[in-house]
Amino acid sequence: MISKALQRNFYGWMLVLPFVLTLLVFFVFALIRTVSYSFTDYDLFSPANFVGFDNFINLLNDELFLRATINTVTFSLVVTVIQTVLALGLAVLLNSKIKGKTFFRTAFYVPSILSSASVTLIFIWIYQKNGFLNGFISQIVESTPYIVSAILCFFILQTVQVIHHRFIGLPTRFFDPLLAIISLFITVVMVYITNRTGLITSTPMAISMNWLGSRDDFGPMPVTLWAITIQNIYTTVPTIMLLFLAGLQTIPSDLYEAAEIDGANKWQQLRHITVPQLAPVTFVVVTLSIIGTLQMFDQVALLGTSSPLESRITLAYYVYHQAFSDSGTPQIGVSSAAALILGALTLVIVFIQNKFGVKEKS
Amino acid sequence: MISFNSKLHLATLLLLFLLIPCSAQNRIVTIAGNGGNDVVAVNKLVSEVLKDDFAALKIDVQYFPVESDYSRFILNALSSGNAPDAFYVSVDMIDNWVATDQLQAISARLREASRNINPVLLKAYTIEGKLYGIPKDVNTLGLQFNTDIFDDAKVAYPNTKDTWFTFKDKLAQVVNAIGDEGVLGTCLSPDYAHFAPFALSTGWQPFNENNQTILDERFQRAFGFYVSLIHDGLAKLPADVGQNWPGGCFGTENSAVVMEGQWLSGYLTDKAPNLLYQSTLIPKDPLSQGRGNLLFTVGWAINKNTSNPDDVEKVIELLTSEKAQNAILVSGLALPSLLSATEFPFFSQDNPSSQMAKTILTASTSGNVMPHNFSQYGKLWQQPIDVALTAAMLGQLSITDALAEAQKQYNTMVNTPVKQRHKQNQKMEKQ
Repeated sequence: MISKALQRNFYGWMLVLPFVLTLLVFFVFALIRTVSYSFTDYDLFSPANFVGFDNFINLLNDELFLRATINTVTFSLVVTVIQTVLALGLAVLLNSKIKGKTFFRTAFYVPSILSSASVTLIFIWIYQKNGFLNGFISQIVESTPYIVSAILCFFILQTVQVIHHRFIGLPTRFFDPLLAIISLFITVVMVYITNRTGLITSTPMAISMNWLGSRDDFGPMPVTLWAITIQNIYTTVPTIMLLFLAGLQTIPSDLYEAAEIDGANKWQQLRHITVPQLAPVTFVVVTLSIIGTLQMFDQVALLGTSSPLESRITLAYYVYHQAFSDSGTPQIGVSSAAALILGALTLVIVFIQNKFGVKEKS
Repeated sequence: MISFNSKLHLATLLLLFLLIPCSAQNRIVTIAGNGGNDVVAVNKLVSEVLKDDFAALKIDVQYFPVESDYSRFILNALSSGNAPDAFYVSVDMIDNWVATDQLQAISARLREASRNINPVLLKAYTIEGKLYGIPKDVNTLGLQFNTDIFDDAKVAYPNTKDTWFTFKDKLAQVVNAIGDEGVLGTCLSPDYAHFAPFALSTGWQPFNENNQTILDERFQRAFGFYVSLIHDGLAKLPADVGQNWPGGCFGTENSAVVMEGQWLSGYLTDKAPNLLYQSTLIPKDPLSQGRGNLLFTVGWAINKNTSNPDDVEKVIELLTSEKAQNAILVSGLALPSLLSATEFPFFSQDNPSSQMAKTILTASTSGNVMPHNFSQYGKLWQQPIDVALTAAMLGQLSITDALAEAQKQYNTMVNTPVKQRHKQNQKMEKQ
């Protein structure tokens, strides 16, 4: 007679069996094959010959691989930092008492549910030489004299009004809404008059930055990778924002009430209550973000075909490039070795993050 | 009551019903090719044009168009043993596929049956004396021009006497006359496939007698001219006018001329049916007075592991027959690879599409014409030139620096024996 414990174990095993099988086939088996291929010159068709550590040594001497590694690590750091901060900011905004909160939550989440290919196509249009981004930057640059004079005008008017109010004994704040509206109105009228009379002029500027076909670097990364960074942040921030939003719901409101009574302003509340309380969520977000960005592939493959390979290559794309090279000969051995290095790099960076970065507990 | 004879007749009839389909069971041959524009034309070819011919051979042809990345599909299919019996192999990839040892060499019988096919194309599919594919079509680049734009600008049409400089002069006249209406001279792609006619017209060869790629003075002269069209404001990159290929600029009447192959014809029929255009040959090099062009072709290759090679060869023979190539020509998909193609009635018709086809067929035999094939280097070979063109045309590098960088890459790529070449050599040594 089968004991109850054995029966319970049997059902347990039956329930996890599909996942265990999937894990065995697509992870354990694939990993073993990858490790074994990485020590061979396998090319899908000829018998594999053992080559020892040749593939790994060749990788370390390959400039393209080193460039891919630098690009991947930089991309991962830049995207993780920017998208975590942005997502937290958006979540805090959407968690506050604003009108149309549901609409904004939905609107901000939309980019996450769009297909990667569609978003990439839209961004290809945005990044064209005569595309939206260059047009927008051109407009901003062209309007700089008006923008600067408007800001100056606004602050001068506001300062004058506030000083006058305080002079007559009214306890007015600098950003008093009524005074700000008056200042804004006068500013708009003055900028309009200066524009019409030609006191302030602007020179037409046509920025024709080549975002996707560039070989230039900007800061720590190639321009093309920056373009991919913007797209990646656009598509990933909403999901992270949702995680933060869920985390924000769990923070007891008593903490904020107590802080308010103690005289803490919004920034202090964010810094000393929200951020520490969200530590478990931030830990998950940062870890997932690092893993996801280190494996960046699809947007690189779709977005950057017009730029030199060195300006857009990441490690995941390098692995694919070696397996399905344009020369037609699949370098499965080299590709497997690169995949293993990518895996090891991911583990190391996640370990460093856990050890020295954001902790699970505040 | 049913008699014994009736039962016997009934049994015989039933037996016949069972046997007829068995005896009429056709053998199956699977074929695969690119998706996109090919699908309708090839489906029609298989299910209508050659239907009776296949039936007479008792062969069922099953056609699988590949909509995703074609090379990746075939690579995976061959390595996993699921590849079709016959499939397209473009001329730029034939050496790579032969190196995988997955293609069956064409038999002497089919080789003999294909003797009417352009020998230049057959040569491109011949490696180590063995033929590995039967070219099914051919394409080169011609120069198409918008007659309305030239008439408006009161500029003489481009013609076969034009050299690079007279051609450039005509573009400059067009831009001067009606450039303020947003008309460009032309749209240029920063890639070797479009630039090659200029480089080859100088007499330059992709691989010299020592099998090395040297971007010599002739190449530099052609490179300088091609890039100068952009720098002098006579041309733009397609992306700069919101298009993804030069044909798009021409179809939207943004450019006065374009240099494309017969594939442009179908596009113009669909997207710009009222556009008035004519075709001529790409201009000559003023110094050598020569022309150049690339031959683009796709051939049918046979899977080495096919179970019925004889049937596959019969199917390929029919797919590349005069009847099939004429049907493909009429569909607007491609030009025939047959030497007798010029006698096809299509070429004597008086319409822009036929005139374009005639020009492109003429271009395929005019001057220094080379297959779009770079031996074992495959598509990788043209990457340094593509990158150099992009950098120079966008002004990111000077022409000298762009060429120097490309030459540096060729020195590494061509002078360093690739692993595949080692393997081939080892194989040959063993044999």
